[in-house]
Amino acid sequence: MTTGTKSAGPTTVEKPAGFAILQIVLIPVIAALNYVTGVIINILKLPLFMDTWATSFGAMVAGVWVGAAGGFLYNIIMAFTLWGLPAWVWGFINIYIAIITWALWRIGWVSISKPAKLVAAGIIVGVTNVVPVTLISWGVFGLMPTYAGTAWIYAAVLASTNDTLSASVVSSIASEIPDKLISLILAAVVASRMPARFTLRPPKA
Amino acid sequence: MSNTAFGILRSGYVARNTFVHRLDGRTKFLFFLWISIFNYIFYDLYVTVVSFVVVMLLAFVARIQRFVVTVLVIIVLPIVLLGIGIIGGPFGFAHNRTAIAAVQLFGYTIGFYLEGTVYVSVWTSRLAVTITAALLAYVTTHPSDLAAIMLKSRLPYKFAYAFLATIQLIPILTNEITTIYQAQVSRGLNVQAKLIDRFKSIVVLMIPLTLGAINQTQIRAIALESRGFSAPVKKVMLRDPRLKASDYAIMIIMAVMTCVFIYIIWTRGLVPFMTGIQYVRPGG
Repeated sequence: MTTGTKSAGPTTVEKPAGFAILQIVLIPVIAALNYVTGVIINILKLPLFMDTWATSFGAMVAGVWVGAAGGFLYNIIMAFTLWGLPAWVWGFINIYIAIITWALWRIGWVSISKPAKLVAAGIIVGVTNVVPVTLISWGVFGLMPTYAGTAWIYAAVLASTNDTLSASVVSSIASEIPDKLISLILAAVVASRMPARFTLRPPKA
Repeated sequence: MSNTAFGILRSGYVARNTFVHRLDGRTKFLFFLWISIFNYIFYDLYVTVVSFVVVMLLAFVARIQRFVVTVLVIIVLPIVLLGIGIIGGPFGFAHNRTAIAAVQLFGYTIGFYLEGTVYVSVWTSRLAVTITAALLAYVTTHPSDLAAIMLKSRLPYKFAYAFLATIQLIPILTNEITTIYQAQVSRGLNVQAKLIDRFKSIVVLMIPLTLGAINQTQIRAIALESRGFSAPVKKVMLRDPRLKASDYAIMIIMAVMTCVFIYIIWTRGLVPFMTGIQYVRPGG
């Protein structure tokens, strides 16, 4: 299971033998990174959530299921602690983010060497994410405004349409596109800075 | 989310010797699921208010009321204010009919409406109940008991590991990011800069944090392997939580109340006690 020295003395373990265990250990790291991003956003007083960037990062560096599991776990923990039970359904957003990031990454769109494609990928993630976000907002928050940053957009659309669904969709578009775009760029930048020795994917046969 | 909220999650288990602490973790999580589900089924402010009083009383018994109130003020209060201001206010919520308070300004009626205010109150009180019940279960259950409960509930031990490792990692990474932040500030990072510059600051904070965490991942994987994490044997736990008489009593109360709720829904519908207020689906 380990690489070790042949000489007398204690065995030196330098690398874990299996990638499976490495990926399992990475899942909590992804969940915690999503969480800690909230701390940074709070420190820097930024008007975004960015609690899905580590999900995208995990999907890129260790595979789609690691990103999805880490992101889902983050939402489970938040639901069982600060957000309340219904918030666990936000976990599906993280699964969706992992899948779409992985798909876009596979076709080469999530790379800092191709900035135009990276921006397009971020916008695609943001726009398509509005559908699951609206579904969850419908079931958990009754399509109420929950984010002060876009509440004025919600109020303006509600005043002109009398429809909470339209208000929720438009305010989601306004918050999701910049949030997911910047999250994906951050994930791509951090992944590009990963030294090769931190390999988290199994070697190709 | 504010630092206080992060502090609460960071602190995790609150050690006390109260009735709630002595209950088995399974009972507390079952109560959390049970009260959350019924609060989302009923569309009745009276039901959610009574549920809220019950969970707050339990929070007082567990002596975690300060935690709970802080979290509710941080998470639920802004939603209440936004919701009542917009949906209960003069912004065109389709069901608004009955003005609670209104003034005429330049020919327009500006006021707050009963239907919108009740709608927001029901949804936000549901949130308040479920958050309080979650905190009751989480901060009064020892992490070791949590792990043992997960394994007893036949969850895969890899999931139990991931869940508990995340709870342990959060304070570690939070402390690490504080150190990295202080180091970067001492190198000239300006957190009061313009918005674009603050976005750039995320990169210089996240890269060292992430690389450090990945490095730790390798070490943790080796440590786990050397302790037989992947070994194909049955895993045992140091703690063995068992259900006590008080746990069974709580479960019986929940079972009886479930029958009562089903009877109420059967005979009086989803709005059993509020009169003059119609059921409003999300989105109208």
